Amino acid sequence: MKKISIGIDCGSAACKGALLREGAFASFCVKPTGWSPKETARQVLEDLLEQTGTVREDAYIVATGYGRVGIDFADKAVTEITCHALGAEYLLPGVRTVIDIGGQDSKVISVKSGKVLSFQMNDKCAAGTGRFLEMSAHRMGVDISGFSALLEAGKSCTLSSMCAVFADSEIVSLLAEGKSREEIAGGIVHSVVSRTISLAARLEAEPPILLTGGLAGLDKLRAALELQMGNPVFTSPLSRFAGAAGAAEWGRQKQR
Amino acid sequence: MEIKTELPQIFDSFAQARQNGFLTMKKIKDSGKGVVGQFCTYTPLEIFMAADLVSVGLCATSDETIPEAEKVLPGNLCPLIKSSYGFAITDKCPYMYFSDLVVGETTCDGKVKMYELLGQIKNVHILELPKRQDTPQAKALWYAELVRLKERVEKDFQVTITDEKLREAIRRRNAERKVLKELYELSTMTPPPVTGLRQLQILFGSQFKFSWEEKIAEIKNAVNSIRQAYEAGERPVSEQAPRILITGCPIGGVTEKVVKVIEDAGAVVVVFENCTGAKQMDRQCKEEGDPLTNIADHYLQIGCAVMTPDTNRFELLDRLCDQFRVDGVVEMTLQACHPYAVEAHTVKMHMQKRNIPYLQLETDYGTADMGQLSTRAGAFVEML
Repeated sequence: MKKISIGIDCGSAACKGALLREGAFASFCVKPTGWSPKETARQVLEDLLEQTGTVREDAYIVATGYGRVGIDFADKAVTEITCHALGAEYLLPGVRTVIDIGGQDSKVISVKSGKVLSFQMNDKCAAGTGRFLEMSAHRMGVDISGFSALLEAGKSCTLSSMCAVFADSEIVSLLAEGKSREEIAGGIVHSVVSRTISLAARLEAEPPILLTGGLAGLDKLRAALELQMGNPVFTSPLSRFAGAAGAAEWGRQKQR
Repeated sequence: MEIKTELPQIFDSFAQARQNGFLTMKKIKDSGKGVVGQFCTYTPLEIFMAADLVSVGLCATSDETIPEAEKVLPGNLCPLIKSSYGFAITDKCPYMYFSDLVVGETTCDGKVKMYELLGQIKNVHILELPKRQDTPQAKALWYAELVRLKERVEKDFQVTITDEKLREAIRRRNAERKVLKELYELSTMTPPPVTGLRQLQILFGSQFKFSWEEKIAEIKNAVNSIRQAYEAGERPVSEQAPRILITGCPIGGVTEKVVKVIEDAGAVVVVFENCTGAKQMDRQCKEEGDPLTNIADHYLQIGCAVMTPDTNRFELLDRLCDQFRVDGVVEMTLQACHPYAVEAHTVKMHMQKRNIPYLQLETDYGTADMGQLSTRAGAFVEML
């Protein structure tokens, strides 16, 4: 059994890594996934090893996220659902519901003691995912931090389309009608939140609730979710590492 | 009635397997036999068998002809309906191509309206299926429908279907159900002697064997060789693999992908409560008494989501969960199959009450969702 466990969560937008040594996280790392999940994952691994002065042979590696199947240097591939549940338990002990709004998937996971009880995932389309928000922000000429700044105005408007492609043309029309970017940004967040709520409605989403994934840093989104869920929604500075941390934790518990 | 015995013009471009299907059907036609194509487990095959006809399942499970079908049918329709229609208009399915008569039943609205279109190019007979199984009215309607089917077959193929022949057909079909049941019940063992994928391939493939004697012999042979290999210590499945029951829409062909993602994730499918599996093999048809009444009663009791209430499906599900000691239930619903998709909630609640983990997977005949399917199936297996 190896004393060091590494989790690599290779999502569609970002590749995250976490290194667990003697029961504590010694290092985290994140890089944009880019066009080669496998190559980026390898760089994340090398960074983690370097930062902690570890050699590859001493570490057990668990890959997760959509890129997990391509990470051939990992000892094991585990789905992001299982990993997010385990990671969330580390970030917020006693957590019962995990909302992960990722690049291409959003999911709501019902958890107990880090174990998945049930889960709901978005279907094939990008409605309500990070990609939906990113594409929409791009249409308005801002990145995620610019988008976050627009939200500070606290304005909103109604976006009738859940579909990323249709929303794109709807945003074009709204801008043409003279709607402000602040209003549209609020409308986009509302779209993402209502899509997430409809996933959550399909299982017993009990508190405490933790928001993970790439959008966990958007406080307005968190607050809107909280309002709709009728329960506090927590985030953690390490929210984006939930999957990677969970993968490392999986390796610590289950490696053979 | 015009009987097709020539091969379709695009025959040369056909893949080997399908070409073989065409050649097999052509041989059957050349021997003077008539062919009846059917879509659904409710269609009483005994009637065709008693008329010495060859019957074959038409649910062409591939997305190959869907673009062609979508020129006419709406895009957001069930892939099974689109695929079957597509195969009919493109002459790409040997079974559809050589069918002298196509029998459809009113299992869902999409199919019913598709049959109307199909009727313009094929010789179609529609059976009106009641939505209940437990009233005298429903039973009377269904019996009358089978009388009407029998008369249609007699007229179209100029044969006489006697009670004696029907009785013999019941006996033969019962024997077939019995050996197929024996086959899938091998997986009650721990670990099961075959993977779910292998089991499904045998069950699904058996629908395309057209000589009853050969079919029975082949299945018996399969049962024996699986048993012998198991006794000799062969273990294709790990003893630790969680045991899964699959339920829902008809499965087979391209939807094997659902079995594949479950088994790739380390579980094993032990039993199928779908039309290809236990749903139609589980019970025997009564042999004494009026044969047509027996056939009508037998088929009407199949538990499908088109029935309300669908008590028999839940009764069978319960029994299979116990008999196969399942650790989880996966329901496969095809896109836009409303009866199964809506009833999925009832199945979920039912399994929750029994403390059996449940996962619903919606899919179609494409392969674009393999990534999503494997994440869902993987996470489900990991939580067992």
